[in-house]
Amino acid sequence: MSALPAAPSPARAAPGGALLGVARGLAARSLVNVTRRPSAVVPTIAMPLFFIVAFSGAFSSLTDIRGFPTDNPINWFMPWAIMQGAAFAGMGICFGVARDLEDGFYDRLLMAPTHRASLILGPMLAAVVRVLLPVVTVSAVGFLAGARLTDGPLGMVTLLVAAEGFALVAGLWGLGVVYRIREQKSSALIQVGIFVTMFLSVGQTPIDLQEGWLPHVARLNPLTYVIDMARAGFVGPITWADVWPGLVAIGVGLVVLGAWALTGFRRLVR
Amino acid sequence: MAVAAPAAGQARAGRERQIHLPAQALALAGRSVRSTARQPEMWLPSMIFPLLIAAVNNSAMAKAVLLPGFPPVDSVLQFLLPATVVQGVMFGAVSGGSDLALDIENGFFERLIASPVARPAILVGRLAGGAVLGACQAVIFVVIFRVFGAHVVGGPPAVLVLMAMAVMVTLMVGGITAAVGIRTGSQESVDAAFPLIFILLFMSSAFFPAELMDGWFRWMAEHNPLSWMIDAARRLVLFGFDWSDAAVAVVVPGLISVLTIALAVRQMRKRLERAR
Repeated sequence: MSALPAAPSPARAAPGGALLGVARGLAARSLVNVTRRPSAVVPTIAMPLFFIVAFSGAFSSLTDIRGFPTDNPINWFMPWAIMQGAAFAGMGICFGVARDLEDGFYDRLLMAPTHRASLILGPMLAAVVRVLLPVVTVSAVGFLAGARLTDGPLGMVTLLVAAEGFALVAGLWGLGVVYRIREQKSSALIQVGIFVTMFLSVGQTPIDLQEGWLPHVARLNPLTYVIDMARAGFVGPITWADVWPGLVAIGVGLVVLGAWALTGFRRLVR
Repeated sequence: MAVAAPAAGQARAGRERQIHLPAQALALAGRSVRSTARQPEMWLPSMIFPLLIAAVNNSAMAKAVLLPGFPPVDSVLQFLLPATVVQGVMFGAVSGGSDLALDIENGFFERLIASPVARPAILVGRLAGGAVLGACQAVIFVVIFRVFGAHVVGGPPAVLVLMAMAVMVTLMVGGITAAVGIRTGSQESVDAAFPLIFILLFMSSAFFPAELMDGWFRWMAEHNPLSWMIDAARRLVLFGFDWSDAAVAVVVPGLISVLTIALAVRQMRKRLERAR
């Protein structure tokens, strides 16, 4: 991966130009915007809550199928709903960047004496914090509705790691798109990419119970392994075999989509 | 006399507008269909997403057909056909309401009001355009599902009912989105209403039999009018044509569309009053 384009030389010497400091500032701004725009929070919290209710309600009998890994529909669908919330958290920060690009604020950021890596790092930090919204709210509702950890608190750790990883990957995908299209209408393409990937995985049923073309696609879909990791603590004892493919998938996603975002950023500042 | 003349002129203009209402509605419906057809981004999602979801569910829930209580089906696709039709036309109907809001945003609505067009034609034209597209969509879904092995046991009469149901659902959803669009004049507000409609669809028996649901969710699904019409249409697809099922599939969305269109008309009257 090549280095980011250098900012004007005074930037590096500027007191406010410290990479992490600026990134933290941008992340804070992104999070403040969330509180100012309730419409930005709704998809991150309301949609996963709706999905956990709708899926575990409508498809509750799926867990009666022989071979289903759990007999508790909430256990199956709660991690799935949280992963959707994580996707919205990651995509949400990209919508904010698209808004900044459209209204000219981003141009001012590019002119500012800051390290340009902070312009990517800032939104990513915001995504990391924003994921906590669906994790906390959907987990609370899920546990009240009957979700149970099958291997103790470690199940929440694997779920959190999966959600954070997916939010970062979704955010990098979204940033790459936004840097190329530079308009808010890029949100449609970002969402299509994420949701098609989510549907072509193990959201509703495990691979072993799928038939036809889907299981072949789901096996090739890295998100399948991340979702498996998210569910590991809700369908039985957690084993390393449940976790490492998810970690590898997140790592590969971060590298590949990080390159996608960086090349988009380079085009933007060229 | 000097005072009565303008009144008589207005009355004559009003009568002429009523006489020309069908032609005007037809022209505006044609405009609506053409404008949608020219923008694939308007109708492609309403074709692709329901098909994608059906394809995924067909694979993901293939073993669900073995559950006791699941209706006898050749494949999950056959079970999902009516739900996919409803889902697709709902997507399209929302974009109809969104277009009406866009007409308001970009000033076309004001120009229509200023022109000698019968007021109902503005609404009827927009809704009728969406309804035509909805019927076409139903036929396309039936053909695609047939290619993948999901046949309609009720034959051509059942397909006609699916088309009629699609038209009614388009009017039903188009009425409510038009009401929101006219009331707010904002395309964004109409688009924001879409998740609510999506929630109603999910809380029905569209994607899974209500008999296999539990608790309050089952109660919700069983009392959701969308379930009534989808279940009736599903019986036509799975078991064969039956007049009572055909009537339920068309009359339920038809009655609701009367209410939603009345709401849209009311909002239009209010907007026209505000414009005076």
